[in-house]
Amino acid sequence: MTDKPAGMTLIIKTVCRLLVGLILLYGIYIILHGHLSPGGGFGGGVVLALGLLAVLLAYGREETLKWLRLGLLKDLEHASPLVFLLIGLAGTAWGGAFLANILSKGRLFALLSSGLILPLNVVIGLKVGLSLFLVVLAMAEFDLDKGAEE
Amino acid sequence: MTLYALCFALFLVGLYGLLTKRDLIKIILSSGIMGYACNLMLVLFGYRRGGVYPILERGREAGPMVDPLPQALVLTSIVIELGVTALLAALAIRLFQKYRTYDITKIRRLSG
Repeated sequence: MTDKPAGMTLIIKTVCRLLVGLILLYGIYIILHGHLSPGGGFGGGVVLALGLLAVLLAYGREETLKWLRLGLLKDLEHASPLVFLLIGLAGTAWGGAFLANILSKGRLFALLSSGLILPLNVVIGLKVGLSLFLVVLAMAEFDLDKGAEE
Repeated sequence: MTLYALCFALFLVGLYGLLTKRDLIKIILSSGIMGYACNLMLVLFGYRRGGVYPILERGREAGPMVDPLPQALVLTSIVIELGVTALLAALAIRLFQKYRTYDITKIRRLSG
């Protein structure tokens, strides 16, 4: 476990490097089209997390953390519920009820046709994706060989 | 009716695993199966024969649709289940660090 190089073989690393952008793009597509087609914040967020997890599995923890800034991810993950709350309170202030729509509804079937749902989907996607990724990352930090030290 | 019975059978499979298995990982998987059976049951409650997914699209007539309410409920339930599974897995890892085993019959020392 210690003398092996971190991560999997070169084939897996190369395929992962080629695919991770497409996976993340697909996740973003699902999040942005959540109000038009099946999907939305949760499904797209899970796809985002799976893209990041592919990198984590292929490259190991150290390389992944060099590529991603963990502090930024944690801050985003903690800030997203707050943004959701602020959007909801904006609905209270200008729309009359919590999460009431305050944006233009646009034309039917257009991308910007859902008012507040699109920003809410983005916030939920960030929250779900980053939470899932951070949960697995936290579990990867457990050292099974450490034993009962207390 | 058969489908509901099959859902219940799936739930019983999970319950059987939860009660009889000794391996912690198998117990976590069993609790997941129980949750999936419940989710399946809830989605089936909202099913209508011949219904399509409840999303209006360009150029589609409004026809019979399945009930979206149980689906929204199940989405929430899946998220909660995910959290519970993650918590159980973290507890299993901590137990393995302490006892060097996943066998619950060997985990019997109740000291902090």
